[in-house]
Amino acid sequence: MTAAESKVDAYARAILAIARAEDRVAPVEDDLFRFARALEGSESLRVALTDPQLPLERRLAVVDELTAGKALPLSAALLGMLIGAGRVNDLGETVDRFVALAAASREREVAEVRSAIELDEEQIARLAEALGRATGKAVEVKVIVDPSVLGGLVARIGDTVIDGSVRHRLDQMKAQL
Amino acid sequence: MRIRTLLLAGLLAVGMVMAMPTGAHASGGGPKEVFECVEKAIENNTEGKSVDYEAFENALEDCKKAKSLVTPALPEIIWGGIAFLIVLAVLMKFAFPALKKGLKAREDKIREDLESASRAREEAEAESAQYRAQIGDARSEANVIVEEARADAERIRREVVARAEAEAADTRERAQEDIRLAQERAVSDLRAQVADLSIGLAEKVVERNLDRDTQIALIESYINSVGNETR
Repeated sequence: MTAAESKVDAYARAILAIARAEDRVAPVEDDLFRFARALEGSESLRVALTDPQLPLERRLAVVDELTAGKALPLSAALLGMLIGAGRVNDLGETVDRFVALAAASREREVAEVRSAIELDEEQIARLAEALGRATGKAVEVKVIVDPSVLGGLVARIGDTVIDGSVRHRLDQMKAQL
Repeated sequence: MRIRTLLLAGLLAVGMVMAMPTGAHASGGGPKEVFECVEKAIENNTEGKSVDYEAFENALEDCKKAKSLVTPALPEIIWGGIAFLIVLAVLMKFAFPALKKGLKAREDKIREDLESASRAREEAEAESAQYRAQIGDARSEANVIVEEARADAERIRREVVARAEAEAADTRERAQEDIRLAQERAVSDLRAQVADLSIGLAEKVVERNLDRDTQIALIESYINSVGNETR
């Protein structure tokens, strides 16, 4: 494990410890996971949060504004901790590590699923069961709404990717052409 | 050698004979006595009285008979001969051997000089022959070098021509390969563009036709297919 990976792991374990102490692991997972995916999809947000000319208070205000009413205050505070520590560039990786550690603590693996539309609870449960049968592991599904998949789903469990998206089929067609 | 010695002795004898009258004249005073006789005859016939020419002539005739200017007296001849023999003996005893030795040495020296000159000439001829042989060798070697140089030049010329031809062929092949690759690249780019256009068009068609029911149907299909892939 490199020094950067060690830091990511340390922050992820710290977040997990705080979330456990507050007994809010699952909602914090969801909040941070969504924020991390939103940060990945928005270059302007990443630039704003990493701008050294922007005072820290202003950057934290951006986070508060984005999470107000949509995430727990604890989640916003943890995000503020990461941004204040200058970990914005590693935020996605840190959150993924935190989610993985949390799932592992429940003896589960995280399946990162991308879909063009939101999935309801019943679909997520059936999807988790199906992915569990396919991989032979207990799986927790984290859904990311990503219109670029066009249709269908893409699931990534560790290094395994099960791609049933329309985008993937179009890419295959393009490769064949 | 002997002839030369005899010739030298003869010359010496002649010289002695020629010297003898002078010796007699100097020692015996032959001419001087004749002159004195003549002067005496002149005085006797001209002193205080008329000249008696007949007596004067007789006195002169007597002076002539008394002493000869050319023929020495017998004792002088004898003593001269004895002196000659003594001188000859001394010469033969002491001078001739030295003379002979000197002549011999000179002869030897001349012979040695001649032999040395002969040897030098032979050596010079040998050296000349050696030089000629060396010149011949040098010419042969020069010819060989020239032939080798000519062969090398021809070989180099052939190599240069072959290399140039090979490079030209290589350049031609590379150009053809470049053309082929460019064609392939152009075709590939064209295919990619066609694929992009086709896929872009397909995306638009798919997006237009992907309503919520279709999306749900795709998701259900995915869940069912993944669920059937039991590990």
